[in-house]
Amino acid sequence: MGLFDKLAGWLGLKKKEVNVLCLGLDNSGKTTIINQLKPSNAQAQDIVPTIGFSIEKFKTSSLSFTVFDMSGQGRYRNLWEHYYKEGQAIIFVIDSGDKLRMVVAKEELDTLLNHPDIKHRRIPLLFFANKMDLRDALSAVKVSQLLCLENIKDKPWHICASDAVKGEGLLEGVDWLQDQIRAMKT
Amino acid sequence: MIKKFDKKDEESGSGSNPFQHLEKSAVLQEARIFNETPINPRRCLHILTKIIYLLNQGEHFGTTEATEAFFAMTRLFQSNDQTLRRMCYLTIKEMANISEDVIIVTSSLTKDMTGKEDVYRGPAIRALCRITDTTMLQAIERYMKQAIVDKVPSVSSSALVSSLHMVKMSFDVVKRWVNEAQEAASSDNIMVQYHALGLLYHLRKNDRLAVTKMLNKFTKSGLKSPFAYCMMIRIASKLLEETEGGHDSPLFDFIESCLRNKHEMVVYEAASAIVHMPNCTARELAPAVSVLQLFCSSPKAALRYAAVRTLNKVAMKHPSAVTACNLDLENLITDSNRSIATLAITTLLKTGSESSVDRLMKQISSFVSEISDEFKVVVVQAISALCQKYPRKHSVMMNFLSNMLRDDGGFEYKRAIVDCIISIIEENPESKETGLAHLCEFIEDCEHTVLATKILHLLGKEGPRTPTPSKYIRFIFNRVVLESEAVRAAAVSALAKFGAQNDDLLPSVLVLMQRCMMDSDDEVRDRATFYMNVLQQKQKALNAAYIFNGLSVSVLGLEKSLHQYTLEPSEKPFDMKTVPLATAPITEHKTEIAPVATSKLPEKLAPSRQDIYQEQLSAIPEFQGLGPLFKSSEPVQLTEAETEYVVRCIKHTFANHMIFQFDCTNTLNDQLLQKVLVQMEPSESYEVLHYVPAANLPYSQPGSCYSLVRLPEDDPTAVSCTFSCTMKYLVRDCDPNTGEPDDDGYDDEYVLEDLEVTVADHIQKVLKPNFAAAWDEVGDECEKEETFALATVRTLDEAVNNIVSFLGMQPCERSDKVPENKNSHVLFLAGVFRGGHDVLVRARLALADGVTIQVTVRSTDDNVVDVILASVG
Repeated sequence: MGLFDKLAGWLGLKKKEVNVLCLGLDNSGKTTIINQLKPSNAQAQDIVPTIGFSIEKFKTSSLSFTVFDMSGQGRYRNLWEHYYKEGQAIIFVIDSGDKLRMVVAKEELDTLLNHPDIKHRRIPLLFFANKMDLRDALSAVKVSQLLCLENIKDKPWHICASDAVKGEGLLEGVDWLQDQIRAMKT
Repeated sequence: MIKKFDKKDEESGSGSNPFQHLEKSAVLQEARIFNETPINPRRCLHILTKIIYLLNQGEHFGTTEATEAFFAMTRLFQSNDQTLRRMCYLTIKEMANISEDVIIVTSSLTKDMTGKEDVYRGPAIRALCRITDTTMLQAIERYMKQAIVDKVPSVSSSALVSSLHMVKMSFDVVKRWVNEAQEAASSDNIMVQYHALGLLYHLRKNDRLAVTKMLNKFTKSGLKSPFAYCMMIRIASKLLEETEGGHDSPLFDFIESCLRNKHEMVVYEAASAIVHMPNCTARELAPAVSVLQLFCSSPKAALRYAAVRTLNKVAMKHPSAVTACNLDLENLITDSNRSIATLAITTLLKTGSESSVDRLMKQISSFVSEISDEFKVVVVQAISALCQKYPRKHSVMMNFLSNMLRDDGGFEYKRAIVDCIISIIEENPESKETGLAHLCEFIEDCEHTVLATKILHLLGKEGPRTPTPSKYIRFIFNRVVLESEAVRAAAVSALAKFGAQNDDLLPSVLVLMQRCMMDSDDEVRDRATFYMNVLQQKQKALNAAYIFNGLSVSVLGLEKSLHQYTLEPSEKPFDMKTVPLATAPITEHKTEIAPVATSKLPEKLAPSRQDIYQEQLSAIPEFQGLGPLFKSSEPVQLTEAETEYVVRCIKHTFANHMIFQFDCTNTLNDQLLQKVLVQMEPSESYEVLHYVPAANLPYSQPGSCYSLVRLPEDDPTAVSCTFSCTMKYLVRDCDPNTGEPDDDGYDDEYVLEDLEVTVADHIQKVLKPNFAAAWDEVGDECEKEETFALATVRTLDEAVNNIVSFLGMQPCERSDKVPENKNSHVLFLAGVFRGGHDVLVRARLALADGVTIQVTVRSTDDNVVDVILASVG
């Protein structure tokens, strides 16, 4: 970072940049969540399944986020690990209406947490129990039980229910993430 | 960036390439900065450049390291730097095939191609299409369709060109985009229209009707793009050629109308298309040629070059059509562009009349010293063609060539001239003396061993038969004194020929030989001693066998046989007849068409076709003990060209057997043939001994099966036979895509055309450089003579060709060329009959109401004489 950048940072003109990984099974709503977080003039109209990954950017009050929105389809999940080193935080999205694949989500989460690039780093984990508007959706508490989130001891984590289509619950999660990241930096 | 490099170079003062000593591992190490945040676009750009440079230098990247670098590069999509992003596209395209999981960037690229930044969109489409395979293509199909009809020309063009690339891999998907491509074809942008037309054509090129419809549509509606017009002209002329459409076809009218287009490019393309059409008459040619004539005086060098190059081609087929342009062409001789000038000269040489030759030659000599060797060779080739056309002009040419020979020049150039002079000498007996004199003068100061030996060989062949052979002796003996070993040896051989032919020179030659026997080189001494002893015998037969007509066996075969003999020493002396004969060089016929072109043949002694067959056949256990391969015929087609199975046969003749090699190709992609063999039913007392089937014959992979036949022993005169052939095989149907065959199959057969064995299959061509000597050597013990009348043949040429091809023997002393305006001719043929008997045929032809032939046959074996006469009759 150049001197000017630092100066701009102190003055609060230029926001601090963080890289965040957005992971989760296919059709859980990752791209939709990221799309909602972007400024309304940059939002895409239709969301199609991501192939590979795409890089999106959005800003909160004090941070500038660069999100690696990864594809959740089974055959691309093994490509996630290429980007683990990058992430200063992880957003993990769960389809709370899909009880059947909750075990698959747990398995992917466990693999993620045991990966050497992640295991020994204290990075914040934000869970979105997405699609809470569905009638048979599980509550955030139920989801955290099914994923055994209470076993995560060495990393700060937070779960919140969300409805990405309407944008409900997203800001709450992102605010938590922002606080965590700022706390870690200072 | 580039400016910056330049500056650095100036400072360091080193070589001009900043990437000269790049290390792959160092560059990959540097690529780690891609992972740093925030991204430094300038440094990343530099490293990507290095990676692409290495890839383009052919540096090999392992899959793991390439994948690692690739994934590191994907992070650069964070940056919004335009140059960096476009460099990423380039890297993606370069690494598409060497890295794994390149589809990881699919979403990023689709985002760019549909995004707002127009500079990203075209390159993103191209990169995306490189990493997409058939399965993924459907996922991006929607975007491609949109991009094809996009209003930004660069986007539309990229999409069209990328689609064209993908036609090869997934034709069916791309085919669904025809409507979009149609829309793009009516675009106002010239490039988009051209690319759309290209895609449409490639989607339809297998369907002639659709192509015709498309052409009709666009010729009516008209196009904006000159490129599209050029393409249409090419499609139309291809279609005309395929359908063999006449010149009244609307397609031809279209091409002709393009001659009046306002774009020079289109006009040239149309003219060139007309000129290259087969069976094009002078009337149709005239407008095209007049257009080209206009181009000849264009201020643009490219146009002048194109025009004169095309006219040069026309001149080969229709010299008269180009005559009209002679004036313009003559102006081009002084063109500052030497390529244009040379082409103009060679064109003029082709079209020029006999009277203008002198003038042209003078003009050439004025500028020949200014052009490069390659063009000089072109000029020499043109002269040599001219010599064949106007034999009477040989003295002018000869003078010119000898002047050129004296000038400085490289080996290729000198060789072209020497070859040209030799061909003139062979064509024109009158020019022989002057030609030989020029060549003698040339070898007095010749640094090229190959040319010197070649000329010495020619002197030995032709010199003794000139009126004053003694004058060449000095030149030849000078070589023995002055030159290198190879040239000295060749000179000794040439001297020997003079001694053998001219009795009055013999004593002097013997003295010279004596001198040569003191030479420091083994080969030269050996040759001198050998010739000395042969010459001292003063026997015509010995001279003929050992001096005039050398060994006629294949060198490789001889080497192999001798090696075999030394491995298994026996009491018997080595028998020369067990060595396969050398096949007469195939280039023989070609020399007459383009005498200089043959000079480009590789000088290395490549194994002949027959040596290859010998090797292949001896590898099959069933065919052992047949002796050496005597002759292999040219392949004979046993099926029509476009049938289910294509079969051709090569006849291999041995001393007492014949092997028929059937090369079969299965053109059905849904069948696997097994146990393929060709059953043969002979008409005479030939006996089929054995079949060797081809085990498997998958789609489009040629395979060979063989039949072994014993020739009748009791009747040596039964040389011709007809076999009716049937191919038998087991069919297993299989999936056209995977080639996976069904478990069980069924027997089937396929009737082939009859196969003929003729007398030519029993005779191998042998060139006797001195036929008269060979004729005396064989002697008249077994000589027979008979007279035939050929009523159906009208010219001597035709009769000569018939006899040569029927007997399959080698014409000697260039007697296969009948001089013009003669009504009698003597043809000399030489060959070796199966079993190693020399055969010589002398045929006297007389033309009167049909052709009368008196055939005299000499051979070392009685039967052979009978066989030949019986088969001629």
